[in-house]
Amino acid sequence: MSRLLITRPEHDYATRYLSYWSKDIIKAAIAKDIEVVDLHRGKAAKKELEGRLRKINPTFVVLNGHGSDECVFGHNNEELINAKTNSDLLKGRVTYAVSCNSAKKLGKACADKTTAYIGYNESFVFNMERQYLSQPLKDKRAAQFLKPSNQVSLSLIKGHTAKEASDSSKRLFSGTIKRLLPSINQNPHAREDVADLFWDMNHLVCEGNGGLRI
Amino acid sequence: MPEKKKEKISDDEEIRELVVARLKLMSPGTVTSIGSMGTFTRDQLIERVEKGDEVGETVTNIEMEWLRALKDGIVRKLYE
Repeated sequence: MSRLLITRPEHDYATRYLSYWSKDIIKAAIAKDIEVVDLHRGKAAKKELEGRLRKINPTFVVLNGHGSDECVFGHNNEELINAKTNSDLLKGRVTYAVSCNSAKKLGKACADKTTAYIGYNESFVFNMERQYLSQPLKDKRAAQFLKPSNQVSLSLIKGHTAKEASDSSKRLFSGTIKRLLPSINQNPHAREDVADLFWDMNHLVCEGNGGLRI
Repeated sequence: MPEKKKEKISDDEEIRELVVARLKLMSPGTVTSIGSMGTFTRDQLIERVEKGDEVGETVTNIEMEWLRALKDGIVRKLYE
């Protein structure tokens, strides 16, 4: 049976948006009879994550939160996974990390034949509208970024491989860019959003075994 | 022999001016999340680019990656 473990820290605007938009992933997983362990807010902590990874042994891990080349962080930026200390906990699983830069070293550190790590090797960037900061799900501008990001997880949940899921996400980023391009001269949002979408699309990578499914 | 200092893209005055000009076209209601560095308003991003710090460098890299892609024909490739 597939099991999804997802971290949803929620201590600033960025993590709040990721947390709210991750609800679609949880919904999709439940609809496919995938057991979900949701480490929300304070539960997105190192001790909790390590314990659940060992006990529940999920096939699919989604890590929301800030990151660095070597780490992924949780609630209040507590370090959760570090390439040098506990990245072996991600081995044998498919992980999608919406955490900046972590694919650079952490992703490579845990990637092998039994493991896939999909993530970003630079900062994950997205734009929000000030009027929707307290209502993330109503923010259509942020949706342009977070729907393609979610597509990685949704594609895996549908049964696709890690590489297919990454490519599906890139196609959605690309589709959004193509939709915005014709209005780039009239719409200042479009002009800025295409550059940021292009960046995210380019820096989404799949390390390890791209042929794995969850 | 002393190590050659890596030049930051945001040290280039012309590039900085170009990026600032593009940022000035953004709507003031935009709030941009740049990974772990934080969330910034348009004016804060402009300030950071002018300062040339890590945030400014990242914003500059994002803009230049897109502009270079435009020059290399990304629009044609996207619609192929």
